[in-house]
Amino acid sequence: MKPLAAIRVADFTVHNAGPFATHLLSQLGAEIIKIESAMRPDAFRKPHPVYGREGPATFDQVSATKLSVRINLKKPEGVALAKRLVAVSDVAAESFRAGVLARLGLGYEALKAVKPDIVLLSVSSCGQDGPDSHFAGYAPLFGAWGGLSDLTGFADGPPVEMRHVMDHTCGMHAAVALMAALHRRRATGEGAHVDVAAREVASMLCGEALLLSAAGGEPRRMGNAAEGLGPHGVFACMGEERWLSIAVRSDAELTKLEDIVGGLSDEAITAWTCTRDANEAAAILQAAGIAAHASWTTPEIAADPHLRARRAIVEVNEPGGSTRAAVGVPMRLSKGPEVGIHRGTPQLGEDEDYVYGELLGIGRNERCALEDAEVIY
Amino acid sequence: MSLAPLAGIKVVVHASGVAAAYAARQLATLGAACVLAEGGEGSPLRREAPFLPGTQISAAFASLCAGMSAETHDLASPDGRAKFGALLARSDIFIDDTPVADRAALGLDEQTIASQHADLIHVSVLPYGAFGAKAGWKGEEINVLHASGEGYLLPNGLTTELFPGRPPVKIYGHFTEMQGGTAAALGALSALWARPELGGQFVDISCQDAGLAVGAFAIQRLGDGQVEDRYERSFRFGGVIECADGFVELLTLEQRQWTGLVELLGNPEWAQDPDLADSAGRSRRGAEINRHIRAWFLERRVDEVVAAGQKLSVPLARYYTPDEVLADAHEAHRGLFQTVAVPDAGELPVIVSPYHFDGAPLVLAGGPPA
Repeated sequence: MKPLAAIRVADFTVHNAGPFATHLLSQLGAEIIKIESAMRPDAFRKPHPVYGREGPATFDQVSATKLSVRINLKKPEGVALAKRLVAVSDVAAESFRAGVLARLGLGYEALKAVKPDIVLLSVSSCGQDGPDSHFAGYAPLFGAWGGLSDLTGFADGPPVEMRHVMDHTCGMHAAVALMAALHRRRATGEGAHVDVAAREVASMLCGEALLLSAAGGEPRRMGNAAEGLGPHGVFACMGEERWLSIAVRSDAELTKLEDIVGGLSDEAITAWTCTRDANEAAAILQAAGIAAHASWTTPEIAADPHLRARRAIVEVNEPGGSTRAAVGVPMRLSKGPEVGIHRGTPQLGEDEDYVYGELLGIGRNERCALEDAEVIY
Repeated sequence: MSLAPLAGIKVVVHASGVAAAYAARQLATLGAACVLAEGGEGSPLRREAPFLPGTQISAAFASLCAGMSAETHDLASPDGRAKFGALLARSDIFIDDTPVADRAALGLDEQTIASQHADLIHVSVLPYGAFGAKAGWKGEEINVLHASGEGYLLPNGLTTELFPGRPPVKIYGHFTEMQGGTAAALGALSALWARPELGGQFVDISCQDAGLAVGAFAIQRLGDGQVEDRYERSFRFGGVIECADGFVELLTLEQRQWTGLVELLGNPEWAQDPDLADSAGRSRRGAEINRHIRAWFLERRVDEVVAAGQKLSVPLARYYTPDEVLADAHEAHRGLFQTVAVPDAGELPVIVSPYHFDGAPLVLAGGPPA
């Protein structure tokens, strides 16, 4: 049984961070109804040539398993329709800039008026209040604001920007907070407005450095080094752009590594690794109890039997009948083996028969009128 | 005032690494009562470098275990296991990162826990999970970062331009392990949600899986026929930009943001080229745009360009140092830090949580346990 099977989410989130939160919930069984319009589809349905691509390659991975409806929130009737959907939902989720949802007439108080115990999840770059709350941002900015990116990089180089992993990190944290709010609702009957700030998620990931700094320490960029571990780094292997990560924690591991490679300097280790296949070298070191893993490319990940056995990598069907590798929900549940993606990306408005017909009980005439008025649009 | 979200929920964590501790830290900060169960020598986390200056207090331990209590349990002895079993019997969630091969001897294997605690949510957090061919593999942060794909794809942009021959560089700290911790917190709360129908169950978390989940777009692009690498993945323009007194991040994805950027730059003649009017044209000429942008920013101060840019809806952010995060007015307003007692180190600001509930920050129950 999927654990969240009884939860319904009216999903207004766009881009990455918010949609990833609801994507995780959908794989765990929640019914996620994604709300867009033809006038304002999710920006990730569209191509983004700034990445050097022409296709909407990123949308599927955060939209599979969701349902899709169209609502034009620019019209008062659209706002009213959205409220009808919220009234039959447990959660509303959004990721607009702070204040935008309220200006649309769908702020927390307005939603509470139609569903007193609603849980509203707001995911934004800087949170719902504070002097920077109006700031626009994407994943690389979250890492910059939060301190994590300044700490990442070579000691003699500039900071390194975080990419979409920062969006999804925020989304997974948001899913945790949302579940906590639902537990409180179950215990008390109270709804909640959950406010997740992506830049603060980035700060959480370097919490120890922030504490170190507060205590008078000087955390800094340190490349691939890690205090207390050594040898520790990424070493060139046989072949172009092939690398092996090695991390040694104990004296016993140190002795074994020296026995295997014939020395402990970076040069000695590289002399050993550069004549070996990265995966074979990792297996040799793991057999000796040393933490090592090849730096994997995406084809290696997609083909890996371990990840497939865990359903961390799954096959999903394409509209044309072909299949492709996709990433599953990162957990295995002993009483919920079926968690994960169970349908592909919805077309815009694909699920309106179910949502407007079965769920909201909107008749054919009313629905046609709403479509003619470009409310369902 | 409303209850803390997880008030009344009891968690036990048996953690030697960051991932399990971070899972428990999130639940504790959300209001669960969390007990850190340690052996006689204390959790290995207490010995994790770096240490707070002038102390033997691990920064990671102090940050990750704030708000928890600690108990000593000797799991090698029958009496110790009985005492620990009594603790689990009073608990809702048990989070453990003991290697699979060591669990049975300590009474911590899935079958033993399930047989003795039918309603307990038992969460296993390991580098490669408790199931599968690599369940016994060792993994530190750098290993799971590279096993999950993101390790191969960093750095991008300016760093790869400056150091094209260097190996990939890791993300600071315990990024992938903390993804495992977050997945564990989500798994724990999801399984707990279904407990009325299903009873307790075993939740198997792999840091590799969690790192892969947050890096999912690379797999999506593989399906489109594109194998990403750290050189190709760079933004065509923008990214890390150096100013006169530090670095900013600049990313314009939407047309109005590009329009704002051009206005910020003073509507220069080069930006009026019709070929740059759409994003495809700008993508083709990214290197040329970057030359102009970098020259303009290098002559200006970070605060000046961020304030002016954000007024024009241009996504711009300062690269904050840790000290700057600690001193930031926005984070002070948000209550991101709470001053707590850290044993042997005094009163220090510890990060609380990225979550606000009903307009207020969460509250740590205290500092790390002595």
